[in-house]
Amino acid sequence: MSDGSNKTIISSAWQPVPGVSDANIYPYIRKCDTISSNSYLIETPEVVCLIDPGNLPEQTILMAALIEDLLNKCKRPVVVFLTHAHVDHFLAVIQYTPMAAYFKEAVLAVQKTGADALERGDKYLTQADILGLTITPIKTDIKLLCDKKQKRTDITCYEDKGASIKITKIKTDDPKYPLQEEISFGKKNLFSVYHTPGHSPDSICLRIGKLLFIGDVLFAANPGIAGMYGWDQQTLIRSLAGIQNIIKENDIEWVLPGHGRIYPASDAVCALEILEQDAYKLENIAELNSNRAEEIAACADDCMEEINELFTIMSGRLRYVAYMMEELGESGMAEEMTGLIKSDVIDELLEAFSSFSIQHHNSEKVSIHLALKAGQVIGKLERSFSKESLTDIIDPTLVTRAQNLLSDYTTMLRGFCPPDNRSECDLNSILSKIIQDLSCPRCSDDDILSSVDDETSFIRMLTLRLGSQPLLTDIDLFKSFNPSLSPVLINRDIFSDLIIYILEDLVGIDATGITIKTWQNDTEATVAISGKSESFVLSEEALIKKVFLRLAARSGCAVSLKNTDKIRTFAVSFPIQQK
Amino acid sequence: MDITITKQDNITILAMNGRLDSITSADLENEINREIESGNRRVLLNFSSVSYISSGGMRVLLATAKKLRTEGDRFGLCCLTADVHKVLKLAGFTSIFSIYSSEGEAVVGWQ
Repeated sequence: MSDGSNKTIISSAWQPVPGVSDANIYPYIRKCDTISSNSYLIETPEVVCLIDPGNLPEQTILMAALIEDLLNKCKRPVVVFLTHAHVDHFLAVIQYTPMAAYFKEAVLAVQKTGADALERGDKYLTQADILGLTITPIKTDIKLLCDKKQKRTDITCYEDKGASIKITKIKTDDPKYPLQEEISFGKKNLFSVYHTPGHSPDSICLRIGKLLFIGDVLFAANPGIAGMYGWDQQTLIRSLAGIQNIIKENDIEWVLPGHGRIYPASDAVCALEILEQDAYKLENIAELNSNRAEEIAACADDCMEEINELFTIMSGRLRYVAYMMEELGESGMAEEMTGLIKSDVIDELLEAFSSFSIQHHNSEKVSIHLALKAGQVIGKLERSFSKESLTDIIDPTLVTRAQNLLSDYTTMLRGFCPPDNRSECDLNSILSKIIQDLSCPRCSDDDILSSVDDETSFIRMLTLRLGSQPLLTDIDLFKSFNPSLSPVLINRDIFSDLIIYILEDLVGIDATGITIKTWQNDTEATVAISGKSESFVLSEEALIKKVFLRLAARSGCAVSLKNTDKIRTFAVSFPIQQK
Repeated sequence: MDITITKQDNITILAMNGRLDSITSADLENEINREIESGNRRVLLNFSSVSYISSGGMRVLLATAKKLRTEGDRFGLCCLTADVHKVLKLAGFTSIFSIYSSEGEAVVGWQ
């Protein structure tokens, strides 16, 4: 009989386990999400093993039906392994009746720390708390991979529920290798289990033949996953090296993760190497608990709204340049322009988030789902445009602010504390610089005239001129700066972004004149920026965008909005440094 | 998105309601094309109830502008909401299209 070596392992079908005779596997592969894990069912003449039952009713119903079918053919013990005790890997087996019946008769094997967490119904280590789920204590049968401090004989035999299981501890003092045990259900060892903490303290890998089940380690450095309760950077880094050794030294062919597609071993090693590099960067990240998830989710909607607007403007600007170039007979150039940003992909992503957010708020789900969805969309948006190519054409402040919004959200989701880059600055000079940048074209009349003899240079100047129209063109600007303003403590870059957002807002309401004033009293310095709109009715109850408030807080100031009659005024105030 | 089509003084006015995203902009494009194919080449889009326009929506506006530029054709937008106006303004679109504050202003302007 073929042992199945080198054949692709596919989802939802029985197939031989490569490297083991008389063992078959049925993988149940799901798309990546936080709802439920993949499940893997393995059968041999001696035993039926289920790795990670998952957390979806339909998934557990299918697994129960497959187990029933196997037991009808040949009565055998059923052993359930958890790669770690996170609720998305097991909760449905105790909540949904068909599987619960088998589960009661099954042997549950979990790493010692996870087993203890299950037995005390620990809502934090199981992630039930952050996912808004309820968990009750669950009895485990076998506690795997107790560490050296925990008492455990070198060989353990388990005889119950019709099973006869022998677990042998493998001794190694080499720190390159994780704690290991061999598990046999008959004469031969079937599984090797390895303690690979980091994603969680109880994470394990299971090896059978040329297959390695690795749980969620591939996602352990992802924003919104790194920092979850029980996550640990140093043990993760050690485990990542250990898993790579396991793959290389055991002739592993396929690596089967807890979520998403199965990897050829070589791809998995590459992914683990990248992951290891990422993991080294995750020092001092904040713990991701339900309170922080709520804070992040609250930002997600506002942040995505602003990202939506900026990306739409950038796409529109490119379409505008393309349109004009086509008018000028430069069809090739026009096509190149529209290819610089994947507008359709971006529209689709932003609309998908918008629908997800509406559904999320209607169903009152827990915050972490919204926070992670925004993180997923933002990750894809980051890959859908090239900052360098775009800034060659359109206004760099648009592109930089889009990039900043994306990276600020990821930073927050990751749990990094952004450095406090505030320094003592002169408000008037910062404002003057912003005004100058937003008033001068990137390509002056002289630039375009001097380029006419060279066609390539001329086309470049033309696209630059079309793509980068200064925001304050056609705006009557009135400045009234207090020359003796005290210096203020400020994050210059974030403050500049805030002022540009404010000016864009005023240009957006069709203000033809904008006034910028600075003054100070005993305690604070203030910048007031106002514009009069004849085109729109300005509601006195209008609320300031939360993104503005966040930027103000991060740059060291406070911002407010007031609409009176036809005039909109933003006031940005800084505490004055007491000498 | 609901699209209501009315005629006034030989002008076809399409009034939309909701978000002009990648799905609804395809509906709008179909309606506009149907009108143009029927010979109605003076088209005004009323945005008074449109709260959002996507890049796909802007593509439809440009595509329509390209189709309606023979002698006697007219294409314009009216009653933009502040959110839509801001996006079109910052994208540079307000210099391409004729933009009116009301349907009446466009009708008078196109006589």
